[in-house]
Amino acid sequence: MIPHIMVQTVLQQAVSGFYTDLVTRPTGRAVRENIERELPAGTIAVMDFTGVGCLDYSCADEIVAKLVRDKVRVLLLRGLTDAHREAIEPVLAGAGLAVLCERPDGVLEGLGATGPAPALLDELVQRRLAARYPGGSIRFTAA
Amino acid sequence: MTRLVEVPTQFDDRSFDQFAAAYAQATDGERLLFDAHAAEWASPYGLVGLLAAGEAAARRGERPLLTAPANPDVVSYWARAGFFREAGDLFEVHGKVPRTKPAVESEVLLPVTPVRAAEDVHAVVSTIQQRASAILSSELGLDPKATMGFAMALSESCQNIVEHAGTGGWVAVQAYNWRRKLARRVVVIAVADAGVGFRHSLEPTQAKRFGDRWGDAAALEAALIQGVSRFRDPGRGQGLAGIRRYLARWEGKVAIRSGTARIAIVPRWDDDVPLKDGLPPFPGSQVLLIIPEQQSGGGPSKQ
Repeated sequence: MIPHIMVQTVLQQAVSGFYTDLVTRPTGRAVRENIERELPAGTIAVMDFTGVGCLDYSCADEIVAKLVRDKVRVLLLRGLTDAHREAIEPVLAGAGLAVLCERPDGVLEGLGATGPAPALLDELVQRRLAARYPGGSIRFTAA
Repeated sequence: MTRLVEVPTQFDDRSFDQFAAAYAQATDGERLLFDAHAAEWASPYGLVGLLAAGEAAARRGERPLLTAPANPDVVSYWARAGFFREAGDLFEVHGKVPRTKPAVESEVLLPVTPVRAAEDVHAVVSTIQQRASAILSSELGLDPKATMGFAMALSESCQNIVEHAGTGGWVAVQAYNWRRKLARRVVVIAVADAGVGFRHSLEPTQAKRFGDRWGDAAALEAALIQGVSRFRDPGRGQGLAGIRRYLARWEGKVAIRSGTARIAIVPRWDDDVPLKDGLPPFPGSQVLLIIPEQQSGGGPSKQ
């Protein structure tokens, strides 16, 4: 079973006060530590950003980059806005890391460094968690 | 003994060094009188910088004095900008100060607001998203999606205080017509603290690498241009890099003053210098971000 992480829900559990924005290092650290407690190392996980307002670079690094670097094997992000992508992409690219991102039309694509993304997509297909469709697009099938 | 520190009549980033020079002449134990009675205008940068000076002066000696602007319109504006709400805790204020609450008006997107902890940054980001969205898109011509980037830049600027200053600071955001440079509207974010400054913050990890060149200018260069941080964590240093990217996209300007140096990423519409060293010393760090109104079919061009 693939863990599905609702980031907005974790944010509410991790910090006191009702926040919808993922900003500041301490907030990012609290959210990541909350996620890590439920997440086995080397896993494939889905992280849903629906309902998250502003995501700053510090939180993008503290949550997404650190999970990819230290905890998960493949991280699939969904519910991203363009602004979320703008925060996550340079942080991952700068660290030579990548995640997969599910577009609103369901197609998966790499986000971050260009090098690792094809291998991440191949791994999901090999594990039958995603399938190739005519035209070459790849969609997540294990939702 | 009381030493007079004159507040420039037009108090902004350009006149700040004149203010810092007067401040730097003070010696420990002297009581300072910040004289703003002749002030005609102050930018957000001037207002938060004055608060930082007040905090630093209080640390060095007796609670400083502040003479409020004599002009009723000016003092009223400072009050609406939230300045006196914060100044009351730092200065012994003299002069007629209206008991006005910080404004909810189009120019003051965020009144002078203290930043001491991560919770304050959350509050600032939440407020600016509620208030700035319409201004940024309708008045500055920014893509509505740019509002979130603006909030990100603001968040990272404020976090600089929380993470590095070793003390609290202030932030203010205003929109106004910038006749001097552009003859169009700009949004200005100003963040100031009287903390340890960039050189002190980065010294343990960077001083050796720079050798004899190490100083305030080298520290600012390391932080803003090279993206280094005092933390050895590989993901650190993202904030200023992100601010630079955002401002490059909207032809904005960033300038940071710390200690005796000032660094700027200068857009083509401005004639500021990229790096100044040997300035009058001033405690902490002062950050200025300017985002100009966009012209249809392209960014702002030099007038």
